[in-house]
Amino acid sequence: MKKKDFLIAAVVLLLAGILALVFRFTGGDTAGSVRVKVDGKVVGTYSLAEEQRVPFDTKYGHNLLVIEDGEAYMAESDCPDHYCEEQGHISKSGETIVCLPHRLVVEAASAADADVDVVVQ
Amino acid sequence: MKQLNRYIAALLALVMVLALAGCSKNKEDSGDEPYSKDIFAMDTYMTLSAYGDAGEDAVNAAVKEINRLDALLSTGREKSEVAKLNQNGGGELSEDTNVLLAEALKLYGDTDGVFDITIYPVMELWGFTTGEFKVPSDADLNKTLGQVDAGKVSYDAKARTVSFEDGMAIDFGGIAKGYTSAKVAGMFREMGVTSGLVNLGGNVQSVGLKPDGSEWRIGIQHPTDDEQLLGVVKTHDAAVITSGGYERNFEEDGVTYHHIIDPATGYPADSGLISVTIVSEDGMLADGLSTSFFIMGKDKAAEYWRKHKNDFQFVLCEKDGTLVVSSGLKSAFSPSDENAKVEYVS
Repeated sequence: MKKKDFLIAAVVLLLAGILALVFRFTGGDTAGSVRVKVDGKVVGTYSLAEEQRVPFDTKYGHNLLVIEDGEAYMAESDCPDHYCEEQGHISKSGETIVCLPHRLVVEAASAADADVDVVVQ
Repeated sequence: MKQLNRYIAALLALVMVLALAGCSKNKEDSGDEPYSKDIFAMDTYMTLSAYGDAGEDAVNAAVKEINRLDALLSTGREKSEVAKLNQNGGGELSEDTNVLLAEALKLYGDTDGVFDITIYPVMELWGFTTGEFKVPSDADLNKTLGQVDAGKVSYDAKARTVSFEDGMAIDFGGIAKGYTSAKVAGMFREMGVTSGLVNLGGNVQSVGLKPDGSEWRIGIQHPTDDEQLLGVVKTHDAAVITSGGYERNFEEDGVTYHHIIDPATGYPADSGLISVTIVSEDGMLADGLSTSFFIMGKDKAAEYWRKHKNDFQFVLCEKDGTLVVSSGLKSAFSPSDENAKVEYVS
């Protein structure tokens, strides 16, 4: 009978592990995505798990957001200063890329278990 | 029967597991969402968040106030109060510019001239005010630098007037955001907000504790590595403001020139520090000192702090990655890199 106990325990643990993973990666709009805002309004949310190239052509100009290897970065912008292209890759909650001339902000979506509330730059 | 019990136990365990696995998600739902607004003002991107019933009104009032201050203090807008003062070589001060000027001149004295609001013409020469960057010629730089000296600004606190020589110009850019974030935090408190966060382009001021009663966790951007943070400061009711050469810079002939200009040389500061963070209840002080310390370097910064220990704390990052932390942050600051060399100043 002891063997069966083990089996049950193993099954329960396995299920727990699977469930924890499922909740972690599918739990609503937790980390693992970036949100793009123009003029303070959300224009889209994009999963970091999916490799993609997302162009934004607004009245302010053109930006190209690229997501690869679980990170997002600004690959192109026709803004005058190009700071947004220099702001590097973001993936962690609280991190942002800001293209000021185009009033465009990319932010790693916040999660309840976020490491930090905000990042000072 | 025994076996049935076992299955029931297993089932119960499963229910508990489900409850546990769902825990983090439930927590997310139960916490009240803050009322938040993003605005573009003062040449930066700002996010205001306030929790609780008073949140919406407080945030909306704060947005109005920020736009008002932007219109008042912008050097780039012809009709702003600061632009008019610069056109006329002085004039009457409003309530806000009066507070800003008094603080600016106090900091000028306290920092032995490192914090200087008359550096503006030099910033213009480098193109940091317009984005049309260029390395100025020595002749131009020396000529312009000759007109930089906040000690020559005559300020009458009683009459609320200021005057300065032809060719001089002032800019409150070094403390304007800190002043604004402090003012917004004050408005939040007056309007009954007990928990909120004011983020003016990476200059952060917290109001109260987080709604769950814990301290805010403020991440500090790493000056050279965007894969990790420099560290995290746990705080409440305080401003956390960082300055670094990485914020605004340009490259010419393979040399990188950043925007924090040393008024002693007219060139970008090269003090051995690559990032300075100030933590203080006084947002305006934190703003002014973050740039001043970046120019002063480690030793002078530590010396300054010893004289004003009760007013603020700091985290400095040296070129080689060494972190220099004032003793008041010993428990509140944790570096992201566990192997980072940390020196405490007391």
